[in-house]
Amino acid sequence: MKSTEKRIIAGVYHLSKDFGKQFALQDINIQIANGEFVFLVGPSGAGKSTLLRMIYMDDFPTAGQVVVGPFVSTRMKRSTIPHMRRRVGIVFQDFRLLEDRTVFENVALAMKVMGTGMGEIKRQVTDILTRVGLYHKRYDYPTALSGGEQQRIAIARAVANSPSLLLADEPTGNLDPVVTRSILELLFRINAAGTAVLMATHDFDLVRSFGQRIIYLEEGCIVKDKEMIYVGDLRDRIDDSSVSREADRLSGHDIEEDR
Amino acid sequence: MISRRIDDKHRRVSCGGGRVCDDMKPSEVGYIIDESVLMLKRRKGATSLSVVIMGLSLLILVMFVLVTLNISGIIGKAGEELRVYAYLEDGLGSDASRDIQYRLLGMKGVEEVVFISREEALDNFGEALGSDSDVLEALEENPLPDAYRMKLGPEMYRSDILARMAEEIKQWEGIEDVRYGRRWFERGEKLVRGFYMTDLGIGLIVLFSVVFVISNTVRLTILSRRRAIDVMKLVGATNTYIQIPFVIEGALQGVFASLLAVGLLALIFTLAKRYLPGLVFFGTEWVAGFIVFCAVLGSLGSFLAMRRFLKM
Repeated sequence: MKSTEKRIIAGVYHLSKDFGKQFALQDINIQIANGEFVFLVGPSGAGKSTLLRMIYMDDFPTAGQVVVGPFVSTRMKRSTIPHMRRRVGIVFQDFRLLEDRTVFENVALAMKVMGTGMGEIKRQVTDILTRVGLYHKRYDYPTALSGGEQQRIAIARAVANSPSLLLADEPTGNLDPVVTRSILELLFRINAAGTAVLMATHDFDLVRSFGQRIIYLEEGCIVKDKEMIYVGDLRDRIDDSSVSREADRLSGHDIEEDR
Repeated sequence: MISRRIDDKHRRVSCGGGRVCDDMKPSEVGYIIDESVLMLKRRKGATSLSVVIMGLSLLILVMFVLVTLNISGIIGKAGEELRVYAYLEDGLGSDASRDIQYRLLGMKGVEEVVFISREEALDNFGEALGSDSDVLEALEENPLPDAYRMKLGPEMYRSDILARMAEEIKQWEGIEDVRYGRRWFERGEKLVRGFYMTDLGIGLIVLFSVVFVISNTVRLTILSRRRAIDVMKLVGATNTYIQIPFVIEGALQGVFASLLAVGLLALIFTLAKRYLPGLVFFGTEWVAGFIVFCAVLGSLGSFLAMRRFLKM
């Protein structure tokens, strides 16, 4: 019985973060509803990764608060962080798989740390690996897989515990355009099954065509948080930064061609 | 149905006010053991290398302790040779003499009192002189007094205590003199004290070095697993879940390193004993204690080094 009613599953409220004198994030407000797909876009150094780290509570804000499900950053003990992490899947640019374990063991790890029974783990991991199309590689070690395959395994691990929110920090940063598309499709599929996704990327061209909500972050501030209405404005902003040109080059798009 | 199952899964997490009931499931304990076994299996090379490094530094420590033990054994034996002689005045009656014997026996720290007659003393003296004993024949009469020879307990082997005791006995009626080789004893005592001070100083340096080497080895072990620790944290492993395999690994490394150290030492000891047959080795309980100590040291080292990475 799935509820279609929108409810907030995670949010940051008046969040600021500084590292000494330098502001990394300033008065950030974001709310993510269940089943939503949100892109967090901005040039390198805009604070995307810092913001994500705040949300999975690897670091804590200087001011304001982060709320994930029942967990409130200002009102929780450090010892409860592991329990909060079990409700949030996290994916990175560098995959972060354990190279001394097989694909199966990597995905199973996320369930083992919760104390899930072995029978349940086998069933669930088999199911997930089938969904990401890598069940036949379950006994391989990550080093034997391509980058795209490793990221699929990382995503499989992130959703093993059926989290309500999946955080992805530049998940396609190390991948070529074709593989990038397939990873995005996988994320969309996961989203369609009910998991909210917050994906950070510097690659605006990659995400603009999908019509999802985009939060644009620049120098630690939210510049825009809308559906795709302000494309023009955002394009201008992106063109200003050298980083975005690099992003365009990497994603195989030519800026002139688009105009 | 699906959402209910997920809720069940998370129910144990929060029980009001975000408070967490950190009850560990039996399966979790099983997985932790699996993790420990897995870690040792997959990291045989690195683990055995650390064991060798730790074992060799521990060898230096135990070798030092064994040398100290043997030297202090020799010093203890030298102490046992100590005899205090109370010389009796000439012509003392046998009753008075026996009184003195009882009084001496009643003194604190006196273990044995033996009467040495003047004749016996002269014979001993002659034996000590060996082939030169003819000189004694030149004597017209025995110049030696009767004496009581006392053997003392180890608590008395201190020059100030001995001096006080000698002074006290000297005051007694019928006592001519009390002797125990005072100057020799004091010189020996100074030497022994100097030895123990130096030994303690070097021992502390050795101990610190060994602890330093071991804690660094442990830290490197953990540093090399940092990635795995980070991943474990990301997927929501509790600190306990992450730590226990490392603590077990640390304990096992400590046990194997201490076995290596003791084994090598036993080998060296066997070789050395051919030349110095009087050498003694650690008793079984010492060895057992040492192994336990190393196990605790290893696991504690792991535990403390982990704290930093886990931000506890």
